[in-house]
Amino acid sequence: MTAIEHETPGLVGARLRRIEDPRLLAGRGTYMDDLALPRMLEAAVLRSPYAHARIRSIDATAARDLPGVFDVLTGTDLEGLVDPQPVIYQLLPDQRATNALAMATDRVRWVGQAVAAVVATDRYVAEDALALIEVDYEPLPVVADLQSALADDAPRLYDGWSDNTIGGMGYGCGDVDAAFAEADVVVSKHMRTGRMAGMPLEPRGCIATWDAYTDELEIWLSTQSPNLARDLLGDTLRIPIHKVRVRVPDVGGGFGVKFDFYGEEIIAAVLSKRTGRPVKLLEDRLESFTATGQSRELEMDIELAAKADGTILGLRADIATVLGGALGTVGIGPGWLAMTMLTGPYRIPNVDVKLTGVLTNRAPMGSFRGWGQPEGCFGYERMIELVARELGLDRSEVRRRNFPAPEDFPYTTGVVFTYDSGRYADCLDLCLDAVRERGWADQQAAARQEGRSLGIGYGFHVEATAFGPSRILNLVGLQHSGFDEAVVRMDTTGRVTAFTGQIEMGQGVETAMAQIVAQTMGVPIEDVTVVSGDTMTCPYTGYGTGASRGAAMGGGSLMLAAGKLRAKALRIAAHLLEAAPDDLEVTDGRIHVKGVPSQTVSFADVGDAAYRRLNERLPDGEDPTLEERHVLDPENLAWSYGCTAALVEVDRETGFSHVHDYIVAHDCGTLVNPAIVDGQIHGGAAQGIAEALYEELVYDDEGQLTTGTFMDYCIPTFSEVPPFTMRHQETPSPHMPGGMKGMGEAGTIGAPAAIANAIDDALADLGVTVTTLPVTPSRLHALIQTAQEA
Amino acid sequence: MAVQQANDGAAAPATGTGRIEVTLSVNGRTYHGTCEPRRTLADFLRHDCGLTGTHLGCEHGVCGACTVMLDGRTVRSCLMLAVQAQDAQITTVEGLAGDGELSPLQESFHDHHGLQCGFCTPGMLLTADELLREIPDPTDEQIRDRMSGNLCRCTGYQFIVDSVRDAARRRGS
Repeated sequence: MTAIEHETPGLVGARLRRIEDPRLLAGRGTYMDDLALPRMLEAAVLRSPYAHARIRSIDATAARDLPGVFDVLTGTDLEGLVDPQPVIYQLLPDQRATNALAMATDRVRWVGQAVAAVVATDRYVAEDALALIEVDYEPLPVVADLQSALADDAPRLYDGWSDNTIGGMGYGCGDVDAAFAEADVVVSKHMRTGRMAGMPLEPRGCIATWDAYTDELEIWLSTQSPNLARDLLGDTLRIPIHKVRVRVPDVGGGFGVKFDFYGEEIIAAVLSKRTGRPVKLLEDRLESFTATGQSRELEMDIELAAKADGTILGLRADIATVLGGALGTVGIGPGWLAMTMLTGPYRIPNVDVKLTGVLTNRAPMGSFRGWGQPEGCFGYERMIELVARELGLDRSEVRRRNFPAPEDFPYTTGVVFTYDSGRYADCLDLCLDAVRERGWADQQAAARQEGRSLGIGYGFHVEATAFGPSRILNLVGLQHSGFDEAVVRMDTTGRVTAFTGQIEMGQGVETAMAQIVAQTMGVPIEDVTVVSGDTMTCPYTGYGTGASRGAAMGGGSLMLAAGKLRAKALRIAAHLLEAAPDDLEVTDGRIHVKGVPSQTVSFADVGDAAYRRLNERLPDGEDPTLEERHVLDPENLAWSYGCTAALVEVDRETGFSHVHDYIVAHDCGTLVNPAIVDGQIHGGAAQGIAEALYEELVYDDEGQLTTGTFMDYCIPTFSEVPPFTMRHQETPSPHMPGGMKGMGEAGTIGAPAAIANAIDDALADLGVTVTTLPVTPSRLHALIQTAQEA
Repeated sequence: MAVQQANDGAAAPATGTGRIEVTLSVNGRTYHGTCEPRRTLADFLRHDCGLTGTHLGCEHGVCGACTVMLDGRTVRSCLMLAVQAQDAQITTVEGLAGDGELSPLQESFHDHHGLQCGFCTPGMLLTADELLREIPDPTDEQIRDRMSGNLCRCTGYQFIVDSVRDAARRRGS
């Protein structure tokens, strides 16, 4: 597919200030809790204090009697009324179902699971009432972690199951045993990535209005995926969706956790129907730690076989994803992606990778920016440096030796995916050049002179973006699609409104889309309005705003719709100018005959001819109005990639690591707005640095979360996050409109591997090998002590 | 939670038991209302005064999204009760811009992509405003140190540092 000819040069690729900003800066945003509807009530949820227990009884009499309380809902009220919470990824053969309703009925399986809900005049009263509900629990043995879940005599989370797994699967290619037999070196490690969460600063929330007389359900929802939510509301509540409307206010960060579909949406809807009132249900921060999808936690045994020159011959890996007490919306999806991307940016001819999903009495796993890819990258980028270390080779040379060359694309990995395009070695060089420019080697040498331990580490990642071809996703097991529909309309005055199913959640997609549409149409960006966030009026996005698809899929579909609309506008203009459409061009927002600037009409003239004064002005055969639609269902994913470099200092006395400097060289095809791309990668990198060093949801032996506040779950601050240096190269995607690829998750992916590699480098004399994330001071101190004693 | 602006009429009568009258000034306008003693200042500002620009990100005093200026100093409005703010002079994010014009500090955030979702931004602006009044020409290290009590989950902080540094330059010039 060739790129649309750009009529307003320079808009795509320009570092424009964002359209979103002024009202947000002025405090005029409207986030979920800023909305209030007439007659609205507020709800609150009672959550299980036990990780595993039977519910003997619930007594809500006193709560119901509290003045101001309208209703109390328990899990048994939902039985027979709603379906279990949906799992849209059915990836494993014979994948077991956990079939959890929005609230527990007879048994709780994680701390924080919803047990009852109160709706009252306001949140204060609702929380007062929660304290009056008496639940009689019978504690059950707790499956606290992966090892206890897999033990032969482990308590079962689900009666009748032979073990605590939901199933497993694997992929392979080549002859792995032969590859390992002929290898000069084999490196094997057991690696673990810690449990963490997306933690947007605005917690989740909704307002549901389900009118019993019209049967219309309107829900304001802080979500990244309104179309998906609408369909899943219909599935779960067993209602046709033509009367379900999902609307999205300003979203205060998503990071994947607001992609997923939660029980609170069901609770609020049912409470609304029962009370006849709009019901607001927000999670507070403390709830968010256990009520919102967690992520990342897995353990893997990984082995890489190579020749003495560093050529990789084979990869073996066995991953166990540590799931919670029930499957979340995306099931084992992130673990599956970690497994299928374990070959990273390298040619690995012989591969054998396996995956098992294991339930524990922890909160369910869900989506979080990166979605398995940081875990996978931690595996392949740790292993490539360990192979280089083992062979005494330069790590960059080992990487380079194993990259597919630009002419090898489209490159099929042997495990599910085909990468569309890439210049990996160039991107590595771009990063290495920046490292040289910033003088890291000198800083490292100087630090060693002073007895300080400064290390340099790299993480080269590949990112699955512009997700994705619907039929292939269905074949793999996704119970939803991957296309995007877009509608572009020009009004009577020649101004443009672009309708998308994508959601603005801070990532700047509104501005990016306006740039794309304005450039394609040839109008000033001030003449473009982007409309999103309403399933009643906006187009259908097959997936939602996740999987790095906003600009590439949402923007790509808008680009093609705008191209069709521009063509129609030019046909009308040609009629007005008594010229052929091919003889016209658009400059400075006006249409004129090529080379004859005086023979011109404006888009307003075209709008007038299409809508108002049609006679003798609208060509025969043209329908009145100016509106076009396009559906983009891509033939492949678009594969971005980048190289992260981290300069990390380790204090050997305390085990404390600090990132001093940070570089990302990146390629996401055509850059729409470099400022936005930089901001996205900065933010993702901060989350990746958090994954490497700071954030961990720590559960104890009783399944209690011990890091359940911002005091002990350490989101990095200004003091921990380093300055960023960015480098870009642009290798257009051959199949995406405009050559665009996505990049929303990029920053998260390479960070943990780069930082772990830097820590190893800082401690090279000790031979320390980091295998567990996050690298907390206590973990690293233990490694240092062991190494010093050896 | 009846609230009336005092210059619009008489004080709203207290209804029910256990309610206390509160009068405070926000962005130069006097607000008078009654509320339960347990009502946080943040809830009073957001829901009783209708000033929803002040955001709640954690309600335990860590994230800083609810930061407002109270009698010349920044405070966490989630950790204060409305009744403790009796007679206080408060500035919220809504008081930084005037007549549809962003302040130089806000303009600088706009120019340097110093915000993404905007949820932490009101707290960032008020903290930066206080910083720049106390240290007119801060180093990056001072900016990072003084702002480190405000969490941002989107930006990775770099562009906020750039915004504050440039705002200082604009104020100085």
